[in-house]
Amino acid sequence: MQTYHKHSITKEELRPTAEKLRAEGVPLAMIHAYFEDDGKPNVSYEFEVKGGIESYVVEGESVLPSIADIYDLGAEWPEREINELMGLTFEGLDVSKRLFLPDTMLEGQGQILVTPMDELIKKAHGKEAKE
Amino acid sequence: MSYIVPIGPYHPALEEPVHARLHVEGEEIKDAEVFIGYNHRGIEKLAQQKNFIQNLVMVERVCGICSHSHALAYAMACEAIGEIEVPKRGQYIRVIIAELERLHSHYLWLGIALHLIGHDSLFMHSWDDREAIMDILEEITGNRVNYGMVTIGGARRDISDETRKNVLAMLDKIEASMNVIKDMLLADKTVALRTKGVGVLTKEDALRIGAVGPHARASGIPVDVRKDAPYSSYDDFDFDIAVFDTCDVFSRVVIRVLENFESIKIIRQALDLLPKGAINLGYRIPKIKAGEYMVRHEAPRGQLCYKLVTNGTEYTKRVSIHVPTFKNAPTVPVMLRGNSVADAGLIIASIDPCFSCMDR
Repeated sequence: MQTYHKHSITKEELRPTAEKLRAEGVPLAMIHAYFEDDGKPNVSYEFEVKGGIESYVVEGESVLPSIADIYDLGAEWPEREINELMGLTFEGLDVSKRLFLPDTMLEGQGQILVTPMDELIKKAHGKEAKE
Repeated sequence: MSYIVPIGPYHPALEEPVHARLHVEGEEIKDAEVFIGYNHRGIEKLAQQKNFIQNLVMVERVCGICSHSHALAYAMACEAIGEIEVPKRGQYIRVIIAELERLHSHYLWLGIALHLIGHDSLFMHSWDDREAIMDILEEITGNRVNYGMVTIGGARRDISDETRKNVLAMLDKIEASMNVIKDMLLADKTVALRTKGVGVLTKEDALRIGAVGPHARASGIPVDVRKDAPYSSYDDFDFDIAVFDTCDVFSRVVIRVLENFESIKIIRQALDLLPKGAINLGYRIPKIKAGEYMVRHEAPRGQLCYKLVTNGTEYTKRVSIHVPTFKNAPTVPVMLRGNSVADAGLIIASIDPCFSCMDR
C-alpha cells in the first residue's frame, strides 16, 4: 500500500515549503482542490516521496501564492486549471490566456465548427445571391 | 514571414481533440501554445452524486484505452481509506490486466506513430499483434474496452487454467513478433529519418516541467510508480525500468518497444506465481469511512493520480483525477520549437496523448 501523510500549513508557509522541497529534488505530483460543505476551499499540494505522497494542505483560503515560478509548468497547469474551473486565485500566476478552451478562436478558422447549420446555409445562399 | 498555424481541435494525427497554435516563420516553428478542454464531460462532478460502486463503473469510462487503470486507481483509493486488504490472487489478476492493457496501448501508439511517418507495413504488423492481445483481454474479461475486472476489494473475474495457457501462448507469439518489429524499427531508414533528432525534450526540461511515464523515461529519467511506490504486489515481480536517452521521437518509439518486453515478463511471472484463494471479498459490501487519500498508478502513459475525499456515507465528497497527459502536454510547446510544421502532428502524438482522459 502506498503511504499518504497530510500536513496542514498556512498560506504563508506554502512558498517556503515548496522552495525547500524543490531544492531537495522532490517532485510535485499534483495540486488538488475541493470545497468543504460550508463553501470553504481546500487546496492540497501533493509531493512524491519514496513509497507514497506527502500532502501539504492549505485550508479556507481562496487567494494563494502561486508556486509556478518554483515548480514551473508542473505547477502552472494545475493552478490554471483550479483558477479556471473553481475560481480560486493564485497571486503571481499569469492568467492572461486560458488553458481550457480559448476565449477567441483564430480569425474564422475553427469557428465554423460551432456555427449553427442554418446560419451556414444562410451565408452560402447570400454568397450565391451576390454572385 | 510569420504566420500562426492552427492544429486541431480535430486532426487526423490525434485520436481526441486538442487545439495547438503554432507560431511559424517559413517552415520553422518558433513557438507554440496548447489549449485543452474540448472533451470535458464533468465526470468529477458526476462522481459526487454517485455511490462507490456506481463510480467504479463510471471512472472506467474516463478513457477508452486505459480504462482498467482508472478503475484500479479508484478502487485502490477506496481500499486505502477503508483499510481493506485485497486478496493476493485478486492483486495478481489486477496486475495481469494492467500489463495486458499497457501492451495493447503501446502497440496502439506504435501503430499510429508508424502510420504518421508513412511506414504502413510496420503499422499493420504491430496492429496485427495488438489484435491478439485484444482477443485475450476479451477471453479473460468478456470485453475489449471496458473490462469491468476491478471491484472494491479485489478482482471481479478469475482466470481459469485454460485461459492461463492461452495467455502464455499469446505472449510467446507476440514476443517473437516483437523481436522482428524491434529489429526492423532499429534498422529502418524511413523510421530513422522521420524520428531521430525530431521533437527533442532534454532531461533538464523533462525534470523542470515534471514529465512522467514513458515520455520521461525516453528523456533519460528512470521514474516508474511500479518501482518508486509499489502497489498491488508489483514488488513481487522482477522487471526493469526501460530508459533511453536520445530524448527524441525515436527514443519514445524505442522505450515503448522495450517496455513491451518488460510487460510480457511481468505477466508470465504473475501467471506462474498466481496464488490460490479468493479473488475478492465475496458478498461483503465494503464500508468506506470518512477520510482522504491520494494514490498513484503507472498507467500505460505514465503516472495516474486519484485523490479521493470521503465523508463516511456511501457517496464520495470529491474525486480528483489527473492523468499522465496533464503532466506531459505542457512539454509539447518545448518539443515543437525549432522543428518544421510537417513534424508537428508527429511531435504532438509522440507524448501518446489521451485528451479525453485529461479533460474527463
